[in-house]
Amino acid sequence: MARRRSPARLVVALSIAAVLAIFLLYTSLAGGATPSLEPGELKGRAGQVTLSGKVVGSVQDREKARTTGMRFRLRDIEGAGSVRVFYRGSVPDLFKPDRHVYLKGELKNGTFVAQPDSLVTKCPSKYAPKGAGESSSGA
Amino acid sequence: MPELGRAALVLALGLALYATVAGGYAAWRRRRRLALSAQNALLAAFAATVVAAAVLLSALVRHDFSFTVVAQTTSTDLPLAYTISAFWGGQAGSLLLWLLVLTGYGAAAVALGRRAGRDVIAWVVPLLGAVCVFFAFLLVGVASPFATQVAPAEGAGMTPSLQNPYMLAHPPLLYLGYVGLTIPWAFAMGSLLAGRADERWIVATRRWTLAAWTFLGVGQLLGAHWAYEEVGWGGYYAWDPVENAALMPWLAATAFLHSVLIQEKRGMLKVWNMLLVVGAFLLSLFGTFLTRSGVVNSIHSFTQSSIGPWFLFFICVVTAFSLALLFRRLPLLRTKTRLESLVSREATFLYNNLLLVALCLTILWGVVFPIVSEAVRGEAVTVGPPYYNFFLRVFGLPLLLLMGIGPLIAWRRAGLRSVGRIFVAPFGIALAAGLLLLAFGAGSSIPGLVAYTFSAFVLASIALEFIRGTRARRALGSSSWPAAFSSLVGRNRRRYGGYVVHAAIVMLAIGVAGSSAYGTVREAKLQPGQSMRVADYTLVYRGVEERQGANAREVRARLAVSRDGRDLGELAPGKNHYRVEGETANEVGIRSDLLTGEDLFVIADEFDSDGAAYFKVFVKPLVNLIWLAGLVFILGSLIAFWPDGREGRRLAVRYEPGAARA
Repeated sequence: MARRRSPARLVVALSIAAVLAIFLLYTSLAGGATPSLEPGELKGRAGQVTLSGKVVGSVQDREKARTTGMRFRLRDIEGAGSVRVFYRGSVPDLFKPDRHVYLKGELKNGTFVAQPDSLVTKCPSKYAPKGAGESSSGA
Repeated sequence: MPELGRAALVLALGLALYATVAGGYAAWRRRRRLALSAQNALLAAFAATVVAAAVLLSALVRHDFSFTVVAQTTSTDLPLAYTISAFWGGQAGSLLLWLLVLTGYGAAAVALGRRAGRDVIAWVVPLLGAVCVFFAFLLVGVASPFATQVAPAEGAGMTPSLQNPYMLAHPPLLYLGYVGLTIPWAFAMGSLLAGRADERWIVATRRWTLAAWTFLGVGQLLGAHWAYEEVGWGGYYAWDPVENAALMPWLAATAFLHSVLIQEKRGMLKVWNMLLVVGAFLLSLFGTFLTRSGVVNSIHSFTQSSIGPWFLFFICVVTAFSLALLFRRLPLLRTKTRLESLVSREATFLYNNLLLVALCLTILWGVVFPIVSEAVRGEAVTVGPPYYNFFLRVFGLPLLLLMGIGPLIAWRRAGLRSVGRIFVAPFGIALAAGLLLLAFGAGSSIPGLVAYTFSAFVLASIALEFIRGTRARRALGSSSWPAAFSSLVGRNRRRYGGYVVHAAIVMLAIGVAGSSAYGTVREAKLQPGQSMRVADYTLVYRGVEERQGANAREVRARLAVSRDGRDLGELAPGKNHYRVEGETANEVGIRSDLLTGEDLFVIADEFDSDGAAYFKVFVKPLVNLIWLAGLVFILGSLIAFWPDGREGRRLAVRYEPGAARA
């Protein structure tokens, strides 16, 4: 008759897996995790978030972005929600109306105040069809 | 012309379908002639795909804008090399490249994989055929590269950042890697379907796995170099989901390449190896799903497309099929041998596997966390680089250490005395290196110092292993030291190729630690004539100049660079303004010191109308070791890959005693 394996090993393995899972969950929440929202989801929201959306309308004071800051409006990529954004810092070359961008920051008095130098323009990539906010091709 | 392309794809779909159905029936009923016919159908599917690819390539080269793909990704003034690279620049074209590689690999693997046994090959054909059916179906029914339109006078052009030599090689190499992982999966499943429990499928696919793994690794390094040079943010890896998509299958394949050694030597870990090979294949599919579905936010603009649900469906089918088959064949995979000691080579390989898989799963968790959090909390939460960097240290540093321990420790059981004797020298060298680095100020980053000390340990272990082996070969009669060294490597290419790859990973670790933990960055707005100082460098801004390039207006800042009063020449960072695309792209200025491996990296971020410019300057110690590691990695892989007649004979004796005698 075959020797039965001790369940102790299974218990130990499962315990290690459970500890690792909890550790993973905890660090994923503490590891710089931020809610990722679009303008339409910002209403009544406090604290730091990552905001993504499409630049619409004209960009004000772009040339002053590094010094006094620039203003523009960001809209949901597919929805209708939008928010006014204040940003100060380096502006990526690809930044322009109709682009998809990301910023970190928080909502203050109805304006999304972005962290300095947090503006990231999506890299136009190969699987995006032309007209979807990006030009085609890519990485 | 588009009709020919469409017809070729429909034919490829039909042939792949035949290979699946007829091949499956032939394998089940053991019909040899029908199995051969299915095998030929796979080869014919490759030929049909070659025709389809030739049609698309011809349309690209002729700037035939009636092809939607051509009009969307090229323009008439785009240089020829980039026009050709537009083949994989669109979704449909990249899927066609995938099918081309898959059918080509499939036909070659079946023809060359006789070692796996005829019964296994009979099952491999329908399995590969089924994967081909999926991709051919996508190309025929969902995303055709042969969609046409009224030809516009000019194409939309190619995104400027992709007009970079690295982009000519990075995507195809990744595809060669992703698709290559299909082959070991198909042989593993074929082996299970044939009811075999031996290691023949591993032997038959070892080089396929190694090739896929090498392509994936080199492809990622080229992508990192492209990001470093072209994207102009001063880094090379951003832990973006799209980047992680290629890293995860590479990690799983790394674990697999190590654990198969234990199965070959000790007959252990059979189920684990099956799980790893299934995992690596699924992760390659998952990576493709990620990049094409838009389910997670990425800095790369991969938007929602109709192709995502198809991929998800296919991943579910492959997962269910593979796990069900594995579960059904579990009794076959039971091993008689057991781990005898926690201090043995197989044990260290097992620790290596657990760490690699843990790192892979951690990254996977970070990638899917936004999806999970949205499902649970109704809000997508993304994890940032601190999360990934933390786990890279937690799992990566012990992995680095194990690279120095694993290859030197004895199989089965290692006594403490022998362990002490083997490791006293590498340990002493590592300790000395750590203390020396501490004295030179490397203690400003503890993870960096630990990484360097461990790296010294691994390099010392590898060097001593080469010295010991060469000395032994010389004692056995080699006439000279070079002859003894050559004989040593030639007689065990897999082992010594592996050591060279380990050296490459150590170089990579040193480069990453140096450039990230000990780098310097400064920003300044300069008027012509003004200067700035960064680390030991002095940069004097001499002014702006403009010139007309092939398809862009090039604006460059001229910066005179010196270090400690010694003139080092000029750097010219700036921007290219692309007319057709209506885009602007950063062109960074890089001065590499090949002696120290350090880079001076300059971004000219903005130009004012009065001639002033904003500069962002990085000094990145040892960063060039990362790229050099790529070359060493290729060298090591080639050594391990190189055919070895002795190995063939050994395997023939092991699995086909009759054939060996003949």
